Amino acid sequence: MTALLDSAALDQAGDTGTTLPRLVRAEFMKLRTTDTGWLFLAGFIVFTVLALTINAIGAHNQLYPQQGLNGPQALAEAARSHTPAGVAAIAASMMTSGQLFGVLFALLLGVLVLTSEFANQTAAVTFVTVPRRTTVIKAKVATAACCGALFWLASTVLAAVVTPVFLYTQHISTSLAGWTVARSVLVNLLAFVAWGVFGLGLGAVLRNQMAAVIGAIVVYAGSFGAELVFTALYNFFHQGWMLGAPVIAPAVASAVMIRSRSAFPYAPPAWVGGVIMIGYTVALVAGGIALTKRRDVI
Amino acid sequence: MEVLLAAVLIGGVVWLVRRRQRRRARTSTSTSTDRARTDGAGPGFPDRPLGGRGVSPVLMPQGRIEVRGLTKEYGGVRAVDDLSFTVEPGRVTGFLGPNGAGKTTTLRILLDLVEPTAGTATIGGVRYADLNQPIRRVGAVLEAGAAHKDRTGRSHLRVVCQSAGIPLARADEVLELVGLGVAATRTFRGYSLGMRQRLGVAAALLGDPQVLILDEPANGLDPEGIRWMRDLLKTLAAQGRTVLVSSHLLGEMAQLADDLVIVAAGRLAAQGTVASVIGSMAYLRRTLVRTPEPEKLAAVLGSDVVVTPADGGGAYITGADAVAIGDAALRAGIAIHQLVTQLPDLEAAFLELTAGKAAIR
Repeated sequence: MTALLDSAALDQAGDTGTTLPRLVRAEFMKLRTTDTGWLFLAGFIVFTVLALTINAIGAHNQLYPQQGLNGPQALAEAARSHTPAGVAAIAASMMTSGQLFGVLFALLLGVLVLTSEFANQTAAVTFVTVPRRTTVIKAKVATAACCGALFWLASTVLAAVVTPVFLYTQHISTSLAGWTVARSVLVNLLAFVAWGVFGLGLGAVLRNQMAAVIGAIVVYAGSFGAELVFTALYNFFHQGWMLGAPVIAPAVASAVMIRSRSAFPYAPPAWVGGVIMIGYTVALVAGGIALTKRRDVI
Repeated sequence: MEVLLAAVLIGGVVWLVRRRQRRRARTSTSTSTDRARTDGAGPGFPDRPLGGRGVSPVLMPQGRIEVRGLTKEYGGVRAVDDLSFTVEPGRVTGFLGPNGAGKTTTLRILLDLVEPTAGTATIGGVRYADLNQPIRRVGAVLEAGAAHKDRTGRSHLRVVCQSAGIPLARADEVLELVGLGVAATRTFRGYSLGMRQRLGVAAALLGDPQVLILDEPANGLDPEGIRWMRDLLKTLAAQGRTVLVSSHLLGEMAQLADDLVIVAAGRLAAQGTVASVIGSMAYLRRTLVRTPEPEKLAAVLGSDVVVTPADGGGAYITGADAVAIGDAALRAGIAIHQLVTQLPDLEAAFLELTAGKAAIR
């Protein structure tokens, strides 16, 4: 068929490549060409800088408690902090500054990747351009995961610049490539990716942008109430498993995955948190795909 | 502390996004009004001649739209009810119906956005979802507001190009084609309704498709814009493309369409060429007669005719044509000052075909 115009562009259109990578590039183009993604990234960087500052002050006070203001317990804590394990823990904490709650940014951006299509009435254009809805959602999942990874990268690069300087000024040193630090950094990458995809899945299930944003915040913030709920239940029923049960709440599962048994007193091993978090994410994405395929786009 | 920081920063980001949107909305209100006056083919929006040799006759059947027994129910209400029609390539087909008649639902089923309860809708015998590179076969304009408000016209089209595997440079070509080249870097928020319609048409033309499906594309266009749209669609059809366009503008459709599909209450009310649809309403033909003796003329014509008073004196007579009326008046010696045959127009035919079929069900 001849072109409507003498189209140099269409004449040059050759192999259009595999659909999924093409769609992922299109999704990133969508993010790049509006303010929202950039504002989230800027907000996240500001948040990370503030968290690094607060963590540095806290670590300094832990390492060098002020004479007379702190008791023997603080001095003992300071002594422990100067051991290789203590220094590694401080370095790990600095390297992951703000990331426990920073994942909220990845979560909300993940929500917006899909719900903004419906909020801005572009969903019909998207699904007319590519009617294979599963492929579209897969591309959005990949985009949300990449956005989570980008947030993690931005945060980690900032921390990797600040942490050695901080350690030097505190007259302590440790290898940032050591397992304690590396584990924390890598598990945080998993958390950022998982929360980004979790947000996408939640958006796909709820579709309404306001409902999904509120839902995401409620799920994240509300999770931390699970410990109180299960402690109250334990006090009533005296069932031992109830003390570890808060891990079923998504944000608590994520915290367990990141901080292992230090997340809360009776926390299960880190892998349990990881499995639960990934389970929620997979379930939401699967549900989101099924619903997106079935629902009419009006 | 981190929770507090995260809450404050996320709240700040959301507030900033909303504030920017509100500010842009305020500034765009005035500019949109100004631009609406220049929507036509003025200096910024010249008419563009279309090139191309058209569609090969071999490809014509691939452009045929066939709807068979289509039904869509929403909570017990049949938005589309056993609807069947065919749209041929090389012609502009007007898709008419009152509000709520099921036009938009039908078009969305055709584009696989809505799942039918029963029946099929195919393009060239294939469901839209099963088409290879659908955007290269079918272009669609569904609603004028279908772009992100903060994205420029060019970026909107480039996103579609990227998704469809079309070179990004094609976006600039179609922007020039629809006369939006000068507004390519302006955000969608600043576009008038007419410019948004043009952007929708530009998106539909990205893949140089054989089939065009347009839902109310003339909404918001000024007279110059409507003429531009009419010329564009006629040219596309003349090239052998299939053009299915829904509209409420009956006068415009009478000028634009070759064929009509009229639906009411989700069902087919009429289909055919414009002339045949109007011709099927021949019983609506009437004759305006001005005479000083209307009662006498009515008596002469007999009981088979119906006489109704006309504005400004005279009467409309149905049941007898002008020749019969003139002959009868001559025989009876009745003076005739005016004798005009009035054929039904598309509006009269449309209203007759859809009368009594509730638009809102």
